[in-house]
Amino acid sequence: MHIPDGILPAAVCFGGYATTGAITWYSLRKINQKDDPREGIPKASLLTAAFFVASWIHIPIPPSSVHLVLNGLLGVVLGYYAFPAILIGLFFQAVMFQHGGLTTLGVNATMMGMPALLAYYLFRLRTVLGRKGNRLGDRKGRPYQALTGAFGFLAGAGGLGIAALIAVALLITTIPTYLDVEAERASIYALTLAHVPLMVIEGTFTALVVLFLQRVSPELLGD
Amino acid sequence: MKLGLDEYGHLDSLLHQWEPKYKLVGLMGLILAFSFVQDPRLLPAMLAITLALYALSRLPLSFLIARLRYPGFFLLMVAILLPFLSGSTVLLRIGPLAVRQEGCLDLLLVASKFVSILTLSLILFGTAPFLDIIKAMRSLGLPFVLADMTLLTYRYIYEIGDDLERMQTAMGLRGFQARYLGGRVLRVLASLAGSVLVRSYERSERVYKAMVLRGYGQPTRPSAEPRSRFGDLAWLFAFLLLAAGFIAAEIVLRQGQG
Repeated sequence: MHIPDGILPAAVCFGGYATTGAITWYSLRKINQKDDPREGIPKASLLTAAFFVASWIHIPIPPSSVHLVLNGLLGVVLGYYAFPAILIGLFFQAVMFQHGGLTTLGVNATMMGMPALLAYYLFRLRTVLGRKGNRLGDRKGRPYQALTGAFGFLAGAGGLGIAALIAVALLITTIPTYLDVEAERASIYALTLAHVPLMVIEGTFTALVVLFLQRVSPELLGD
Repeated sequence: MKLGLDEYGHLDSLLHQWEPKYKLVGLMGLILAFSFVQDPRLLPAMLAITLALYALSRLPLSFLIARLRYPGFFLLMVAILLPFLSGSTVLLRIGPLAVRQEGCLDLLLVASKFVSILTLSLILFGTAPFLDIIKAMRSLGLPFVLADMTLLTYRYIYEIGDDLERMQTAMGLRGFQARYLGGRVLRVLASLAGSVLVRSYERSERVYKAMVLRGYGQPTRPSAEPRSRFGDLAWLFAFLLLAAGFIAAEIVLRQGQG
């Protein structure tokens, strides 16, 4: 789902850089509001590297396999550091693996990073719902596992789903082809439908990882 | 697993000697100008300049070829689809399929831009040590959060990659095989991903303490910026002129068509 160099018109690339600049500015402003913004940097950096590496894990779907995007999970764990993390991750994907590209870095970062931030906001609802006094948390005010799992699923599936929608819309509207409207509509439906099973896998995987983290290292989820 | 972004950063060529700050601006300018090109008549000049610059950088050809291999698959897919799907002028027919002129031109455009931009970005990041490039970005206004995160991420990608490899080997030795998609397989793989995250998180706390002990976050004396030489600026000027030339030619050609 990384759009490579050479495909998108220059105007779209510039647009991508503009939105990326705006979201990065917003994220950095939120980060700099902390007492010591440097304190979170090593954590965010090593987790960025870890997410980069975790996306190498292949999920078997015989006869082939897929790798996961994990942008929803990244949003859940990194919060406001998620967007810079994705920007840096994609930068390395582009310069190390030639996956994506420098001119499309802005477009790709927006496509992956905006859903990650949305996943973060969505997942924060879990903390609100699971608070003491609400019925969805245990006596110590920790959210129930089912609640964590459900929001993990939504964050993972939603993160991929929104990214896929943005990608499909961009490709269909900007690829220099002379397709007719019917073919265009059919391919949008087909590409979107093809992502539904992947969203289910991504959501399930994210839910399982989030449950693992709640058990093993709840501070990673901000608990 | 070592991918060696800057393994040829120590070579000595004109492009290696160019001050990274100006090189970043100059080459990025040219890359953006290339992404602006839509007219097939500009492609030969674009490819020629790319090749000349690669030759000038003295990077080995194997470096380029190894990095073109993976995205080559994507290009192949476009190559299979575009000539058949796009356009109305039929060049020749193969059974029920028609090869169309517009599709072929599109393919040529996409492929040439792709190869040129990719080669230029390899030159940009292959002809200087990575640390110097980050320093150059910092002096051009990259916020410290992004600069520090980029460097630390780069530093730990390989180590965490080795961690993952070790864990996967251990899982394999204990009989785990990811052959089918099932609840158990997914759960084990999720625990693997979770372990990578938890390990990195715990390591980051140690790394942060070690960095603080070495003075991280304390005000530092700004290191003296290297003085710009006339040659660096001349190169920058030449590159920006070239980039502007491409954009101007594109606009003129487009108007000529319209």
